[in-house]
Amino acid sequence: MGNLLTATGLKSYYRTVQGEEIKAVDDVSLEVREGEVLGIAGESGCGKSTLASVLSFTVLPPLYILGGEVRADGNNILVMDRETLRREIKGKYISIVPQGAMNSLNPTMRIKNFVIDVLEEHFSEISKEEALQRARERFEALSLPSRVLDAYPHQLSGGMKQRTVTVISTLLNPNVLIADEPTSALDVSSQKIVIKLLVELLRRKIIKSVVFITHELPLLRHFADRIAIMYAGKIVEIGPMEDIIFNPFHPYSRLLTSSVLVPEPGMKQKKIEAIPGVPPNLKNPPSGCRFHPRCPSYMEGLCNIEIPPLIEVKEDHRVSCFLYGGKNG
Amino acid sequence: MKNPFVRYLFQKLLWYILAFFIAVSLNFFLPRLIPGNPVAVIVNQMATGGTPSEALEKLYATYMREFGLDKPLYVQYFNYLRNILRWDLGTSFMLYPGKVNGLIGRALPWTIALQIPAILSGWIIGNLLGAYSAYKGGRFDSVAFTLSLVFSNIPYYCLAIVFLYLLAVKFAIFPVGGGYSFGTVPTLSWRFIVDAIHHYILPYCSMVLVAIGGQAIGMREMSIYELTSDYVNYARNLGIRDEKIIRYVFRNAMLPQITGLAISFGTMMGGALVTESVFSYPGVGSLLFTAIRQTDYPLIQGCTLIITIAVLVANFLVEIAYGFIDPRIRAVQLGEK
Repeated sequence: MGNLLTATGLKSYYRTVQGEEIKAVDDVSLEVREGEVLGIAGESGCGKSTLASVLSFTVLPPLYILGGEVRADGNNILVMDRETLRREIKGKYISIVPQGAMNSLNPTMRIKNFVIDVLEEHFSEISKEEALQRARERFEALSLPSRVLDAYPHQLSGGMKQRTVTVISTLLNPNVLIADEPTSALDVSSQKIVIKLLVELLRRKIIKSVVFITHELPLLRHFADRIAIMYAGKIVEIGPMEDIIFNPFHPYSRLLTSSVLVPEPGMKQKKIEAIPGVPPNLKNPPSGCRFHPRCPSYMEGLCNIEIPPLIEVKEDHRVSCFLYGGKNG
Repeated sequence: MKNPFVRYLFQKLLWYILAFFIAVSLNFFLPRLIPGNPVAVIVNQMATGGTPSEALEKLYATYMREFGLDKPLYVQYFNYLRNILRWDLGTSFMLYPGKVNGLIGRALPWTIALQIPAILSGWIIGNLLGAYSAYKGGRFDSVAFTLSLVFSNIPYYCLAIVFLYLLAVKFAIFPVGGGYSFGTVPTLSWRFIVDAIHHYILPYCSMVLVAIGGQAIGMREMSIYELTSDYVNYARNLGIRDEKIIRYVFRNAMLPQITGLAISFGTMMGGALVTESVFSYPGVGSLLFTAIRQTDYPLIQGCTLIITIAVLVANFLVEIAYGFIDPRIRAVQLGEK
């Protein structure tokens, strides 16, 4: 199966008023494959959401893209002009379920009027009735009550708002859906409903892939195909879900997976580990491997000097750590 | 009272009646705190040279009785309240025996004709300017924002006097004051209307400029805030064009501005005081100004009563209008969850 989205060498920095640069996404490469759920996990402030906005072209100052490319359908979308991007890509090829979907709907507008606006924007000859009919069918197909369409955002519960936003984001059948922590603000049962909705969207081939960004690693276990672990603006490990969760290679991934609580038998006996130290300041990231100051397997004279390349250690499983090779010579 | 909206209106109305009662009481007591006895002033003016003092005392007593000032304060107060209910604002001291109703009735059209168009056009232009400059940003924004700041922050009387000096004195394009040329009689003839408009332009423009500045600043801030909100980003992410997004933003940023409009209408008469004094305009403002100078209790009370009514009615209307524009407020009004 082909790649729907290929990002290579992405660099995206925030510029502060003082002229400092915060290297939130630094030399990130990944691909989004057809039919998959790609989970991106990491601590707060590791650049997950920045990566999401770069991949969905919603970069706004003070965030700037400094390098790399994102290819979709063979075109580098990062160099497309605003208008083409708006007409051809946004919502249609790539769509986003934003972080904080709670405030993503215009508070003084009925949901249906926004839905009509979205559809009219991309199908110039569609009438209001047709647009509404199409939306109603889509809502019902995904088992959301179509009366939601007549409501104002403040009349919906948090979970319902999240689902509504998810359905609106996928109205135009985008190939790639980027979900930026869509479940972080929800209770566990609403989380489950939203995830079921995403899986249903994939199953019905309304969308072709999902990039699911989260800080809750265990959540990905239920439906991700692959997982990328981010640390301090870089991808440190990317591979199949089972491998990453049960047999991670990178010391950071190992510490991350052992610091999560999973309610399973035998868990009580297992010691919970926290990762010593704090995430680095991305204004001045550590030299070499960015994890080296906190790493238990730190190698003096190597990890603090050279940046470990992302190398394949198993089939479809890449790690950026000198423990697994990658040294020059 | 089944209908929740009617119930809401009724409750609001009760509050407004209470507010009206308090304001009306203040209108009664505050002018009486001005030092000086107005009747003594009137009598003094009449006393020319050798008027015998018994005659003056008699005159004084007559006036006190005529104006009801010989009675205890609380009796005066209840008389005042009773007269308000009958819409009888009493007799002016300084323009005796002119009735306050008549005086205000003649002045009010001038004030309304000057203030309402000025406030409305300033509000509309100011909001459009503010929203556009928030959206546009860059140089246009800096210039518009700076000018708005300047015009809204110069004390209005300074601006008005500068206007008057430049455009009426230095270059005599406009008349220096008045509502119409001296010596003409208000009639509905073309000549009079043209003359009145000629007198109208300068006070109107000075007020509109200030209103534009004030509204534009508020609207700009609100629009910038709305433009960076999540729903705007989300709409952009779904490929909705800017023109539509601006419409969303404009509507939401307008909400606090509507309150601003109500406040403008409410303070309209107070604002008229300065405008009309500077441009010697024959409205309620000028009337109030002279009334205060002469401690003319009934006339002050009459003018402030008009102000009170204007503030309350404007606020009441806006409160209702808000419900129609913002569904969240409507929900509260209707007692929904």
